[in-house]
Amino acid sequence: MYKLTGVTKEYQKGRGVVGALQGVDLTIADGEWLAVQGRTGHGKSTLLNLLGGLDRATGGTVELDGTDLSALRETQLTRLRAQSIGFIFQTFNLIPTLSAAENVEAALIPLRVSQAGRKARTPGALESVGLADRAAHLPTELSGGQQQRVAIARALVKEPKVLLADEPTGNLDEDTRDDIIGLLEHLWRDRGLTLILVTHDTSIARRAQRTGVMTNGHLTIRQESPNR
Amino acid sequence: MFFITYLRRELRRRMRQAVFIALGLALGVGLVVTVAAASAGVNKAESGVLGALYGVGTDITVTGNAPPPHYSSSGSTQPAKATPPSKNGPTLQISPGGGAQICDNGHCVNAAGHTYDRLVPPYQEPISASTVAAVARLHDVAAAAGVLTLVDSAITYPANSAGSPQLATFTVDGVGTEHTPVGPLAAATISSGHFFTAADSHAGVALVDSGYAASNNLKTGSTISINQVRFTVIGIVTQPQDTSPPDVYIPLARAQTLATATKNLGGSVANTVNLIYVAAASAADIPVVQHEISRRLPGDIVTAAGSLASQVTGSLSSAARLTSDLGKWVSVLVLIAAFAVASLLTMAAVARRAAEFGTLKALGWPTCRIIAQVLGESLATGIAGAAAGIGLGFAGAAIIAAVAPRLSATAPSSTIGSMQQVIQAGGTALGNRTVVVPLSPSITIGVIVLAVILAIAGSLLAGALGSWRIARLRPAGALTLVA
Repeated sequence: MYKLTGVTKEYQKGRGVVGALQGVDLTIADGEWLAVQGRTGHGKSTLLNLLGGLDRATGGTVELDGTDLSALRETQLTRLRAQSIGFIFQTFNLIPTLSAAENVEAALIPLRVSQAGRKARTPGALESVGLADRAAHLPTELSGGQQQRVAIARALVKEPKVLLADEPTGNLDEDTRDDIIGLLEHLWRDRGLTLILVTHDTSIARRAQRTGVMTNGHLTIRQESPNR
Repeated sequence: MFFITYLRRELRRRMRQAVFIALGLALGVGLVVTVAAASAGVNKAESGVLGALYGVGTDITVTGNAPPPHYSSSGSTQPAKATPPSKNGPTLQISPGGGAQICDNGHCVNAAGHTYDRLVPPYQEPISASTVAAVARLHDVAAAAGVLTLVDSAITYPANSAGSPQLATFTVDGVGTEHTPVGPLAAATISSGHFFTAADSHAGVALVDSGYAASNNLKTGSTISINQVRFTVIGIVTQPQDTSPPDVYIPLARAQTLATATKNLGGSVANTVNLIYVAAASAADIPVVQHEISRRLPGDIVTAAGSLASQVTGSLSSAARLTSDLGKWVSVLVLIAAFAVASLLTMAAVARRAAEFGTLKALGWPTCRIIAQVLGESLATGIAGAAAGIGLGFAGAAIIAAVAPRLSATAPSSTIGSMQQVIQAGGTALGNRTVVVPLSPSITIGVIVLAVILAIAGSLLAGALGSWRIARLRPAGALTLVA
């Protein structure tokens, strides 16, 4: 699925340069669940952004199914994200003026799915996250956990190959966190997704097949989880 | 439809800002519409004034110049005394005893108990009637009509010396009996009786203006006295509003035999006119026709409506300057301000939604799709601003119509409506006429379309500036704003 070779990412900060990623090498297989841990500011989200085509590497290559993402034009990256990559964010990032169902539909808009097609697929996506009865609710009318479920439904409604989750439980309480992680795990197994999850929570990371640790822009892969 | 749903919800979320932008656009557009309506009203008033002073359908008038001044034995320059020769009818003279007496063919009687009635043209050189036909034959002349404008003045002396003489005047136009598209009767409508026919060319018949008829209790079949000759009223005519028509019309040939001219003006008005109305074949031909007539009639005054317009003074011309200069620039400045406010607010709204747009980009929304959404929101605001602006414009026009005073316009006139002092300036002898017209603002379809275009252009400009920010937005950078 993914092959990263010598990936670096630098940001200009004033007169200096900040190295967010320092020569990252990584291979992620199809259907794998990789958790990326690390302290804040050590490059976890930057890595996720590069994997999702939201940003471009300063050096090295990021290949997705053999395609170098840095060689793609912005429109091609946009289309790739629309078709193949689902995102889940720590702050849910739902569109505040759209209902739960409409937020899920928003993921199908760039795929030019007809209105009838969107109306047909959305209920199933909400049902898979247990929110079929909240379709008409606005984000402000949902709890944090429910909002994240809607975000998961939105990410999965287009049946992506890859699901990138950036601290999906960071804003949730412990019980809800477990529910969300359990839901993600279930969907991962059920759909054969490639799941890359960024977290600072070790207990969540342990549930993945592999765990990587970002330290000052360097990625170190730990041993595979003994539970897998 | 998802686009409309998203648009509607977003506008509802920032309703206050959307209303503020729409009101700003409405204010600018409303001002443009109001100024345009006022300007249209002023233009209409100016056309009405020129029509009143000039005659509807008339492009050029030709009048005789003033006769040269008469030098008295003292050497001073003064106009000649208006003492017609005795062969042209009775004259009013001062008796040796100091009283007024009416003399006719050397026989004088005391004026007490008598009426001295004279029908005279204004103080202008007459124009030969054959000139009218010559002008009509000119290339690019559509029509020409000659008119003899006259004033009937009747002084009635009381039988006893206790009372004072009473002066009654009315204006008389001697007009051709054939129907022409120019001339005093070109725009008139007959409200009773009928117009002149060819058989009436030497008849003692008259048409009376509806206003004069009402004031003097005249109707079709009534008789009126002109220069002590009885005429039968065969029709009552009504002229367009705000014109100053003559009181009575009689056949030109009849007027030429009836009127008396002063000694300075040749003593006779036979086969003469003192005003020629000319209609050019088209507006573009007016300067050429004016030049050609001036060349052929160097001693006469040839005036086109356009040059008359530049001589209009009074509150009407002030209003015209106000709307065209100040009004225009104020509208432009307010519009620019409205556009600027709309743009700034839209860009600020886009900045606040950066994370939302970053999320949409992460979902795979193309930049153009996001821009279309923002432009759609701006367009909806612009349409609301246009509608409100048109409403404000109508309200402004209604207020102007309700409170604006009637405008006056004073201009040199080719006809003299009553016995009034002739102002001589530079060899030109013309009277001044003042016409009062209402200011009636009008909003045309063109102005409404302009208002809509301006409002939409302003809103799209604002949306475009916001869209520029979206196009430069990096998804990763935008998403960190949420974090």
